Amino acid sequence: MKRRVVITSMGVISSLGDNDGEIVKNLKERKVNFERPVFDSDVVTAPVANFNIRDYTGRFKDGRYLSRGAKFAVAAAMSAIQYSGYKKEDLAEAGLFVGTGPNLDIGGEFPEIKEGNIDREDLQALWILKFLPNTAASIIAKLAGVHGENLTVSTACSASLQAVGEAFRKIKAGHLDSAIAGGGDSRLSHGGILAYKKAGALYAGNSDPDKASRPFDSNRRGFVPGEGGSFFLLETLEKARERGATIYGEICGYASSLDAYTMTAPERDGKWGRIAVTAALREAEMSPSQIDVISTHGTGTLLNDAREATLIEDIYAGCTPRVIALKSWIGHTSSACGALELAISLLCMRENYLPEIRNLEEPCHEDINFIRNGENSSFGTCVIENFGFGGQNSVLVIRK
Amino acid sequence: MDTLGEIKKIIMELLDLEDDPITPDTYLIKELGAESIDLLELAVAINSRFKIAVKDEDIFLTRFRLYLTEATQKGMDNAPYIAGKYPHLTNGRIAEIITHISEGPQLKVKDLVSYITNQSKGA
Repeated sequence: MKRRVVITSMGVISSLGDNDGEIVKNLKERKVNFERPVFDSDVVTAPVANFNIRDYTGRFKDGRYLSRGAKFAVAAAMSAIQYSGYKKEDLAEAGLFVGTGPNLDIGGEFPEIKEGNIDREDLQALWILKFLPNTAASIIAKLAGVHGENLTVSTACSASLQAVGEAFRKIKAGHLDSAIAGGGDSRLSHGGILAYKKAGALYAGNSDPDKASRPFDSNRRGFVPGEGGSFFLLETLEKARERGATIYGEICGYASSLDAYTMTAPERDGKWGRIAVTAALREAEMSPSQIDVISTHGTGTLLNDAREATLIEDIYAGCTPRVIALKSWIGHTSSACGALELAISLLCMRENYLPEIRNLEEPCHEDINFIRNGENSSFGTCVIENFGFGGQNSVLVIRK
Repeated sequence: MDTLGEIKKIIMELLDLEDDPITPDTYLIKELGAESIDLLELAVAINSRFKIAVKDEDIFLTRFRLYLTEATQKGMDNAPYIAGKYPHLTNGRIAEIITHISEGPQLKVKDLVSYITNQSKGA
C-alpha cells in the first residue's frame, strides 16, 4: 500500500508571531514588523521581536553554541515537538531534517579583528560550533532524544523546503515512520546585511519600511531580509490516524533541481525551476489545473520575480491558480523561508484565508491571478516554491 | 566579588543554571553534570577572568587516578606524591579525595578556588 505522509504538528517563530492564532490574526489585521536596523538606515529588515530561546526550550547549557539563526531552528523544533503529543520515547526512532544557513554575524562574533588576528582570551573553547551547519541538529537531537536518519541541508534559500521534502521522501519510502523537519535562520546581523547589500540583492531606499517588500510589483527594488524558524512533525497518515492526531495537511509531492547557470541569478528561461515544479506535480499525481494556490518564492528582486512569473505563466497556462507571496509579510527569511512559508500556507489552508501580496500596486505580469486583497477563500491544494542562490530550486505540493 | 563569587557566576552562566545551587562543596561533574566541553569552556573563562595560566589537567584534577597508580608503582606514599603534583590542594582535601575516589569524579568548586588562589599568588 502506498504510504501517505501528513503534517501533524508545527512550531513557528516569525515576525508575525509564534503561534497559529497570533499569525492568522496578524495576517487578517495586516500587522507586520518591518523596520530599519540601527547600523544601516538604507535597508529594511523584518526582525522577530523579543525572541528568547528559553521560552521554547527552558534552560540548557548548549545554547551558548547557537547562532541566532540556529536558535530559531532549535526553538521552532522544540515547539513543534511540544505540540505534537510525542513523548521522548516516541522520538527515538524519528528522523531529523534541518535546513540551515551560515552564521554571517562575523562582526558580532569577532568584534576586534585586526590584521586577521581573531584570537582573544575570552573566545569560547568550542567557538567552532557556532559556525558548523549541524550544530542546530545536534542540539535538537540531544534535547528531544531523536536518533533516526537525518540530514542537515544547506542549499541557500531552498534549504528548509528541501529538508521537509527529503523527510517526506524518507517516510514515503518506508525508511522512517516519522520525522522532525524544518529550518531556522537569521542574517540580520551587520555581517549578514553587508553580505546581501554588497551582492546588490537588498532593497535599499528611503521609502516607508512597510512598503519596501513588494514582490511582483513593477516597482520592486530588492528583497527585505527577515528571520525566524519553523519545524513540523511528519508522519504516515496511518500512524496519525491511529493516534488521533490533528492533521494540518498532506505532503504529496516534492522535487528539487539545479540551474547550473550563474552563482546567484536564476537561469533566464526558468527551465530547471519549471522542471522541479512539474516533477513535484508528477509525484503528487496532479495536473497544473488541480492546483488552487501557489505560494511563490517571490523575493521582490527584479530577476527572481520575472523568472518566477514566467514560469507560472508557462506551467499553468489556461489555469488560474491564485498566487500569494509571503515574503511581503515576513521578509525573506533565507534558508528558513521554505519552512516558514509552508507553515503560513498550511495555516491559511486551515483557516480558508488568502492574504494579499502586500504593496502589489502594479503587477509585473498581468495574466497571473495575484491575490490583491486578502480574502476568505477555501482551497485544497497548494504548491510551495523556493529558489536559492547557486541555482537551487525546490518545490513541495500539499493538500488539505 | 571574591573568587568563589566569581567562579559561581562563571559556572552558572556556562551551565545556564537558574537558581544558585553552588557551594564550595558542590561537585562539578557529579552534581552539576559538567561535561568535558564544559570544563574546556570553564578553563577559557577562568583564564580570561582571573588572568592566570590554566592547565586543564591540574585545575580539573584529571590525572589524579593516574598519579595514585604512579605512586603505588614507585612504592611511594599516595598523599605526599599527590601533594607534589597538586600544590594547590591541602593535605586534608587530598585525603578526602583519596577516601572517596571510588564514588565518582571528586572535583569540587572549592578545588577551582584553591587553584586560582594558588596561581594568583605565583603570578
